[in-house]
Amino acid sequence: MLLQLHQSRESRGATTSSPSTPRSPADQTSVPDVRLTGLTRRYGDFTAVDSIDLDVRQGEFFTMLGPSGSGKTTTLKMIAGFEQPDAGKVELGGQDVSGLAPYARSVNTVFQDYALFPHMTVSANIEYGLSIAKIPKSDRAERRTEALRMVRLEGHGDRKPNELSGGQRQRVALARAIVNRPRVLLLDEPLGALDLKLREQMQVELKQIQSEVGITFIYVTHDQDEALTMSDRIAVFNEGRIEQLSSPRDLYEHPANEFVAGFVGVSNAIERDGKKLTIRPEKIRLIGEGDPTDGLVTERGEITESAYVGMVTRVKVELEQGGAVQVALQNTESEAEPGGRVGQKVVVGWRPEHAVSIQQGERTQSVQLEEENVS
Amino acid sequence: MGRRLADLFQGHPRLTVAALLAAPIGWLVIGYLGSLAVMLAASFWHLNELSGEVTQGFSLDNFDTIFSDEVYRTITFRTIGVAAAVTVTDAILAFPIAFYMAKLAKPRMQSVLVVAVLLPLWSSYLVKVGAWRLMLSEDGAINWALSPFGLHGPGYGTVAVWLVMSYIWLPYMIIPIYAGLQRIPDSLLSASEDLGAKPAKTFRKVIMPLTFPAIVAGSIFTFSLTLGDYITPANVGNKQFIGNVVYSNFVANLPLAAAITVIPIVVMVIYLLIARRFGAFEHV
Amino acid sequence: MSYANRHPARFAWLLVLAMVGVLAVAGCGGSSDSNSDEVTSIGQTEGALNLIAWAGYAEDGSTDKTVDWVTPFEKQTQCKVNTKTASTSDEMVKLMRTGQYDGVSASGDASVRLIEGGDVSPIDMSILSNYADINPSLKDQDYNSKDGQNYGMPHGWGANVLLYNKDAVQPAPDSWGSVFDPAMASKYSGKITAPDNPIYIADAAVYLEATQPDLGITDPYELDEDQFNAAVDLLKQQNKFIGEYWPDATKNISSYTNGDSVIGSSWQYQTSALQAAGENVDADLPKEGSTGWSDTWMLSSQAEHPNCMLEWMNWMGSPKVQAQVAEWFGEAPANLGACDLTSDPNHCDTYHAKDEKYYDQIAFWKTPISDCGDDRGSVCMTYDQWVQAWTEIKG
Repeated sequence: MLLQLHQSRESRGATTSSPSTPRSPADQTSVPDVRLTGLTRRYGDFTAVDSIDLDVRQGEFFTMLGPSGSGKTTTLKMIAGFEQPDAGKVELGGQDVSGLAPYARSVNTVFQDYALFPHMTVSANIEYGLSIAKIPKSDRAERRTEALRMVRLEGHGDRKPNELSGGQRQRVALARAIVNRPRVLLLDEPLGALDLKLREQMQVELKQIQSEVGITFIYVTHDQDEALTMSDRIAVFNEGRIEQLSSPRDLYEHPANEFVAGFVGVSNAIERDGKKLTIRPEKIRLIGEGDPTDGLVTERGEITESAYVGMVTRVKVELEQGGAVQVALQNTESEAEPGGRVGQKVVVGWRPEHAVSIQQGERTQSVQLEEENVS
Repeated sequence: MGRRLADLFQGHPRLTVAALLAAPIGWLVIGYLGSLAVMLAASFWHLNELSGEVTQGFSLDNFDTIFSDEVYRTITFRTIGVAAAVTVTDAILAFPIAFYMAKLAKPRMQSVLVVAVLLPLWSSYLVKVGAWRLMLSEDGAINWALSPFGLHGPGYGTVAVWLVMSYIWLPYMIIPIYAGLQRIPDSLLSASEDLGAKPAKTFRKVIMPLTFPAIVAGSIFTFSLTLGDYITPANVGNKQFIGNVVYSNFVANLPLAAAITVIPIVVMVIYLLIARRFGAFEHV
Repeated sequence: MSYANRHPARFAWLLVLAMVGVLAVAGCGGSSDSNSDEVTSIGQTEGALNLIAWAGYAEDGSTDKTVDWVTPFEKQTQCKVNTKTASTSDEMVKLMRTGQYDGVSASGDASVRLIEGGDVSPIDMSILSNYADINPSLKDQDYNSKDGQNYGMPHGWGANVLLYNKDAVQPAPDSWGSVFDPAMASKYSGKITAPDNPIYIADAAVYLEATQPDLGITDPYELDEDQFNAAVDLLKQQNKFIGEYWPDATKNISSYTNGDSVIGSSWQYQTSALQAAGENVDADLPKEGSTGWSDTWMLSSQAEHPNCMLEWMNWMGSPKVQAQVAEWFGEAPANLGACDLTSDPNHCDTYHAKDEKYYDQIAFWKTPISDCGDDRGSVCMTYDQWVQAWTEIKG
């Protein structure tokens, strides 16, 4: 019953929907690492986090994605203990920690600004948690060396944080947190301050490190690419609530509502026969003379904008039946000049299953009610 | 012409720097170092005993007086002792206030508190000392408040000097510590707590080391201001401080006053060297 | 940054040292020349007058509307008066040496320094009409004349009296022993007060003159080393009973008002003020005699407006102004003609203005110099030694 309840929660809003996320067998038997129940946080009249229920499984790379002010960071802070909930509770490994101070919780945080202690060396920073936990000196050194190796900073132990680059500081912050072997590692937009190249590299490294240490990661970001690249599951936050919780693929392919569709990836929302549909740009193609159209939905339109962006050319097509869609055209080698001149009359086509029907409203309240009726 | 001048500076950044710094450095050399030099030079002069007029010419008599006469040593140690006591007192008093201002108070409250801390500095120093003189007097507020408990205030004396100086120089300690605490990102405190440190430990391992330069900066104010003050001892004390001896000799025997002034200068130089040794200026 | 490596601090020190060297050896600016040319006439007034005075000596109605002898002077002479109030004799000497003032109301401990330093001019006093009526006891004294030349117009005088709180000190003290003799002084330990002034060493000398004749003190300002050390020792002994060395009259008054002081050397001025405020205090001249001050208006040798200053001196010597200032400040007038003009007919009696015997008991302030003024020669302690000793006494 409990399991069922959770299942329905997870797929909340995904009414059109989709095969449910495959679950690991471990999940069925073990207690979730983090469980949030009815978690609420208000600042005056403003409700930052609005009665959130959530389970994070052991060893999972879990991402909380959402625009700023959506409540994801506040939720993270309540898990860490920096914020106290106004209602609801936080459980870690089945134990209610709602009233406990941060130092009494077996979670560690990688802060957005890294929060390295500027007066300590890299080694001292990494050993900070261990020394407070009164770990013997020799063990400490061993674990510190191991952590430095893991983040590929061997030989940087004697430096001060201000002698490191942004990416190196980021790694130190990570090492300082994982060296304590917490139950859960919380990461608050840790790559936000890095440039694109470094960010992409770090995404890969983070994922590697996570699978190496096997610690549960809860990752907060507003960057959808980052979320899709790294996560096992993603919770999309909006206005203090979770709009959708599913695997990256499900999230992209089957957005639960217009908000999710718009926030994750580029969304083409059009209305046909009173139903709202969304189609990803890469699922739409331009159909030339004599091209087969079997099994495709086709519509006529005119290109109104065209932008060359390297790998693809993005064109905007105004449809005769109303609305407009963005289409991503591959710049393959075979075409000397790809299609997509402004003013060109075209026919666009897509497979019917790629036109996902979505919820009209962004509010999930009604969805939730429906769900409750179901369960 | 202006155009040509601009071109001249364009290619010569050093020239630009020199032009910009000429006035302040000139002021520093003439106004500050110059007066210091005159004062140090005066310490080698002596008095004409009949007219009491200053006679110029090199002599070490004044320094001989200072070193051979025990009273100057007593006064120096007394002054340093009170300056140290005032500094420690102010550091202890200022820290919680500054911490509340920098880390706990809401922004609105914060600005109110900054003004409140600075407010006493707007009123005359003499008025404040005068008020303390009244409070500390035999029939004053302190004795009145203590009498129900069978206690008696310190009266005028060195303890009173310590109290009043601690009060008067307190803002000079609060403001640097406040600024120092404000420069510590809240995330550092969160990180320490997150890594398992209880508040006391966070204070010792993170806040203290990071605020230390600010405390030293504040202590330079409280220490040097106490070292040079003569008005508070004259009003609520019954013993002399370096400032009083300088003051009483300033008119009667300027060369000796100049020589005595060398004492606090030397003390401050030593103090700053020690402070630097403790790394007080590293993060500034 | 490479500039930082050049140690500007070290450079600055070198600069300071270089300047010190040049200044210490070569000196800067000459000393003023002594001007002994006697002033023998009053000319046309210059329209302005810059004075250095004790508080209460040059009132223009701004303190109290009815107390004003500056405005009538300005009307009569067309000399616009600017007054700089000084609070110590040392400050007066300092100000006079700036050369920006025309004259000063100098007490004896400043006047000798001014005369010796050539900062003031000798005057043929016969050109000042009111000088003839001045109390003869105040004329031709050490503190206002030298080598038969006069240096100004006597202003008035007063004794340093033993001021005590009648509730706390009983019976009424008649000796300085109350503050100097440990057996008596210990009774008021912590509540004894004394002026914060090196010249107070003379008060101890006055007491020793009466109680230890062996020392052979004849003039409390002309102390040889033995006499001086005895006085200093007495004061060091007294130090542990002292609650406060009072820096100015106002603080002295508040200490008695607030109960911090009950006995000590003070002026008649404080006594009158405290009595007027209803405090139960009294003052007397102890049997050993006392020190006192006698002030003289002197003309600066660098005066820009000497004629206005001469007019001012004569004005201040007139019976009417003498009566006004003596009553306002609380002192004995120098011109005895003033005694008939005071609003309080007993003023001159209160301040013993005509009491020769009282006057003779007072050793008026003068600057201690090495010349002892007798056959001992130049072995007496000088004022800067008094200042240093005062530092040691206070500890």
